[in-house]
Amino acid sequence: MTALASARRWRTTSWLAWIVKEIVPFAVGVLIWQALSSLNVWPSVLFPSPAQVFVTFVTDIQSGVLLKSLGVSLISLGWGFLVGAAIALPLGYLMGLNSASRDFFDPLVNLLQAIPGLAWIPFAILWFGLGQGAVTFIIVMSVFFPVLYNLLTGIRVIQPVLVEASQTLGAGRAAIIMHVIFPATLPNLMTGIRLGIAFGFRSLVGGEMIASTDGIGYQIFNAQQYFQSARIVVGMLSIGIVWLMLDRLILRPIERRTTMRWGLMREGIENT
Amino acid sequence: MNGTTEILSARRICKSHPDPNTGYDVEALHEVSVTVNHHEFVSVIGPSGCGKSTLLRIVAGLDQPSSGEINVAGRRVTRPGADRGMVFQEYALFPWKTTQANVEFGLLLKGIKKDERAKIARRFIELVGLKGSEQKYPHHLSGGMRQRAAVARALANNPKILLMDEPFAAVDAMTRQRLQEELTAISAVERTTVLFVTHAIEEAVFLSDRVVVLAGRPGRVITDMKIELDRPRRWDQLARDPRFNGYCETLTGLLHGKDAGAEAVT
Repeated sequence: MTALASARRWRTTSWLAWIVKEIVPFAVGVLIWQALSSLNVWPSVLFPSPAQVFVTFVTDIQSGVLLKSLGVSLISLGWGFLVGAAIALPLGYLMGLNSASRDFFDPLVNLLQAIPGLAWIPFAILWFGLGQGAVTFIIVMSVFFPVLYNLLTGIRVIQPVLVEASQTLGAGRAAIIMHVIFPATLPNLMTGIRLGIAFGFRSLVGGEMIASTDGIGYQIFNAQQYFQSARIVVGMLSIGIVWLMLDRLILRPIERRTTMRWGLMREGIENT
Repeated sequence: MNGTTEILSARRICKSHPDPNTGYDVEALHEVSVTVNHHEFVSVIGPSGCGKSTLLRIVAGLDQPSSGEINVAGRRVTRPGADRGMVFQEYALFPWKTTQANVEFGLLLKGIKKDERAKIARRFIELVGLKGSEQKYPHHLSGGMRQRAAVARALANNPKILLMDEPFAAVDAMTRQRLQEELTAISAVERTTVLFVTHAIEEAVFLSDRVVVLAGRPGRVITDMKIELDRPRRWDQLARDPRFNGYCETLTGLLHGKDAGAEAVT
């Protein structure tokens, strides 16, 4: 066999392996779901079948409703995440690297972090009115804290010897931040970003149910009013699929190219 | 004092710090003076807790002395700087940089151009025997290879003096002997000036032109001994050399004597 042929074969088998790995868990989940709904123990309004959900999914895609409300939601989530992270990152590095600002901000941030994003809904509505502005504000309040606290942890666990090594090579403050602090905080920062987005999704759905008339959260809420159970599931699963795509297409590739490549993170601990 | 050849002079260094349990000040170093001349290899040896690593950190500028003065090539030292390269026991390579980028880092900070950096780094990577591992990240290197990379990183920066803090303590015995032989060969070629801290007597004798013995509690110099053995040095020859064993026995006696303070180690 030529090298090319063996490379091609390897590539095909690894693609197959990847598909099996990614698809099989979902296939098993759908099979169990189908089996449970075939028992006909519960009426379909309480427990819609996979087939009903699939039909509703196709209908809502074709009518454009699903993609439109997903779009609205993702714009709120995107802005909420960007603004939340844009405040959390500079503040986190400032608090991590400067004890005076840490002493000042830590009590304030600690007080605020116990307040759930959703508790801001009344003020969000008063300040921004019903709609995307209010939802985005709630998401900002939810994204901010996990990003900040994970970044702070990332700074606290940096090995001092790495900073010292850079100093003995001639690094000043700016070079230490650029070449040691930033890359060293990346594993924790990625965790913060994941949690930030996850918290953002929770607030997105809750916020849209109460403070908006659009978006996927509102669609779920609205479907419940009309007993459209399959539509509720479509909304729920869409959120899951969007998250899965974010994870597989953006977050994991970033980790594979950075923290995992550097040996700071692994898939897991096997053979223990 | 011979100003033309003296690279490092540490004069009457004292260091006190509060004991974490009692809160009272403990004297870790008491009027310790050490000089290292150009192209001289000096080891500081002593029982654990005698302050030898503290001394090295003070020379590096990573800790501040309570009193005393450090001069490197005639300039007073108060903070870390590229004139004093340091090799740490725990390697301290940047996990996010390849071997090549780690070795280039000091040159990058000096503003040296990319091509020139790459050239210098390649020379030192080859010198320490890491050719072929340029693009590997530290977690793919063995302990011995990591310490080689750390030595290359420090040397590529062309420091006035190389400070080494028990650099071979974490590698296995066979690798340690090989690294010791390589270090003597490299310092002969590069005419490196080295201040080396260790608690291993044989390592100090093998590597050094001079061994400074510290006693513990408080850390103070009890002996400054010249090691007059031929170079290049190799373990298979020196291990049977009566002069080598003589130095080791003398130092062992000093470290276990009642002057040496508590917790003497071999």
